[in-house]
Amino acid sequence: MEGGFEEIEHTADVALHVWGKDLKELFINAARGMAWLLADPETVEPTVEVALDLEGFDAETLLVTWLGELLYYNETDQLVFTEFDLEEIKPTHLRGVARGGVPKETRRHIKAVTFHEMDIRPTDRGLETTIVFDV
Amino acid sequence: MVAKGDFRRIERFIWELPKGTRPDMRVPARMFADPELLDAAFRDRTVEQLINTTTLPGIVKYALAMPDFHQGYGFPIGGVAAMRTDTGVISPGGVGYDINCGVRLLASHLEQEQVAPYLQDLTAALYRSCPSGVGGKGRVRVSERELDELVTKGARWALKRGLARAEDLAHTEEGGCMPGADPSQVSARAKQRGRPQVGSLGAGNHFLEIDVVEEIYDPDVADVFGLWEGQVVVQIHCGSRGYGHQICDDYVKRLQSAVQKYGIKLPDRELVCAPIDSPEGRAYYGAMACAVNYAFVNRQVLAMGVREAFEQVLAGKVKNFDLYQVYDVAHNIAKFEEHEVDGRRVRLCVHRKGATRAFGPGRPEVPEDYREVGQPVLVPGSMGTSSYVLVGTQRAMEISWGSTCHGAGRVMSRRQALKRIWGADLRRELEEQGIVIRAGSMKGLAEEAPAAYKDVSRVVEVVHGAGIARKVARLRPLAVIKG
Repeated sequence: MEGGFEEIEHTADVALHVWGKDLKELFINAARGMAWLLADPETVEPTVEVALDLEGFDAETLLVTWLGELLYYNETDQLVFTEFDLEEIKPTHLRGVARGGVPKETRRHIKAVTFHEMDIRPTDRGLETTIVFDV
Repeated sequence: MVAKGDFRRIERFIWELPKGTRPDMRVPARMFADPELLDAAFRDRTVEQLINTTTLPGIVKYALAMPDFHQGYGFPIGGVAAMRTDTGVISPGGVGYDINCGVRLLASHLEQEQVAPYLQDLTAALYRSCPSGVGGKGRVRVSERELDELVTKGARWALKRGLARAEDLAHTEEGGCMPGADPSQVSARAKQRGRPQVGSLGAGNHFLEIDVVEEIYDPDVADVFGLWEGQVVVQIHCGSRGYGHQICDDYVKRLQSAVQKYGIKLPDRELVCAPIDSPEGRAYYGAMACAVNYAFVNRQVLAMGVREAFEQVLAGKVKNFDLYQVYDVAHNIAKFEEHEVDGRRVRLCVHRKGATRAFGPGRPEVPEDYREVGQPVLVPGSMGTSSYVLVGTQRAMEISWGSTCHGAGRVMSRRQALKRIWGADLRRELEEQGIVIRAGSMKGLAEEAPAAYKDVSRVVEVVHGAGIARKVARLRPLAVIKG
């Protein structure tokens, strides 16, 4: 699938509109979108792999947790993730790996992923949501 | 959709939206504004977010928005709400991600002319001694055990480590230590993020600024605060760094289930909350207090860095290069305070999100040497524009839970700012005004361009006019350091 995310206008912060045919694709596109906000993904060589096993109260909480986890590695080790393998995903649990590296140039810093306007909705092409980042 | 016509003007600068405007409102919403600022509230979600705030359980009297309001997460920025401690809730969305983001003002004994020849050197020295930027590592490293002690004792920890003076603590909100901090409620990850960052500025809207006192409005109060026209002062604007962010992040997630457990109906998930008197509510308060103390220490350690830079550059060149602390205020915080409600003194949990405590004369929380006039309120402007020193008032105690504005308030998104403003152009523009700039990134500079903000002077005129703080002095920037 092409795209899967687009940046949208938002006072004070940055936001993405993200979509996918199912929960798995939605989560991966959200992570790709966040990577694109952080750096030019073309300049990332995916040499580092992290394993993730996460739980959330519901799908929105899990999505915030998932992106927050990737963001944590960005803050501590400057890693930006561009490849994802989600072996298992349901609204309250996911397990998989993310691969990434340190980009040559960063675009911005993101402080947090928020619940603001987040609402995973069914559409005729699958699922979509807005994700607002505190920058 | 709520429109301007739904607001009732109850005073020149106070606009009220009655309780029934939306069926789920528990109390009215009030905005401090002039007519034009009020118009601005309809350009983003400020009004909707303020109405959302009125729906929180236990909210007393009204939800308030200070005139520097703009859209935030949960509460609008500039939002103030007081909750009953028995039936009320505490909400991370009423404090914000940067817990105890705040401002510290240091004053020198020097006039602008004495500092002018060394301004470039001073700016460079400050840039070196006060680490900035995104992942910026701080001036001190602490072990996990030390970090727990640091966040429990706040500025007293810094004093013990020789990173503070006793008089700095006396001139800090809460004495630099919020009671009730409980590090056992803080995640391992927050501690990991916080450990290397003590004494660092960070990025975003945080800055360090050398200013000159340009104008004095209230000579008597200015004198009590030790401020005079032509004096060189320094502002430090930053918060609790990754530690506070992680705590907010953790609790916004953790409390999602508490909302369900306690049957709280919320119009926005960022307003997530828990009863103050519940295990979840107490856990958040304990963790938030840790971040509050972290931020007090962070600004304290940076203050010592600023003193060091002044000594490095000015020793032997001027007679007295020392800096004394005027005050340090929190802009993002929830606190237990006593206020008068219908003639009775009541303990309330006051949320201030992008708002400053503005306690008036006589309050025991105000430092002894300021108690007769009220507490200093520090209102930084956007980069390169004026900042203000105000004083708290009795009127603020009566109508705004002892609160006032905190800054200029954003009007342009960061993305819009980047589209319209070039960092390099802006730098030149500021330099043409004679302002020295050291910035880690041109992009960060553009995102914080003055044009992206409301006019701070206008915001200050509203709080002064409404009586919820009074003007004391205006500061003009000489040098700006940004991450």
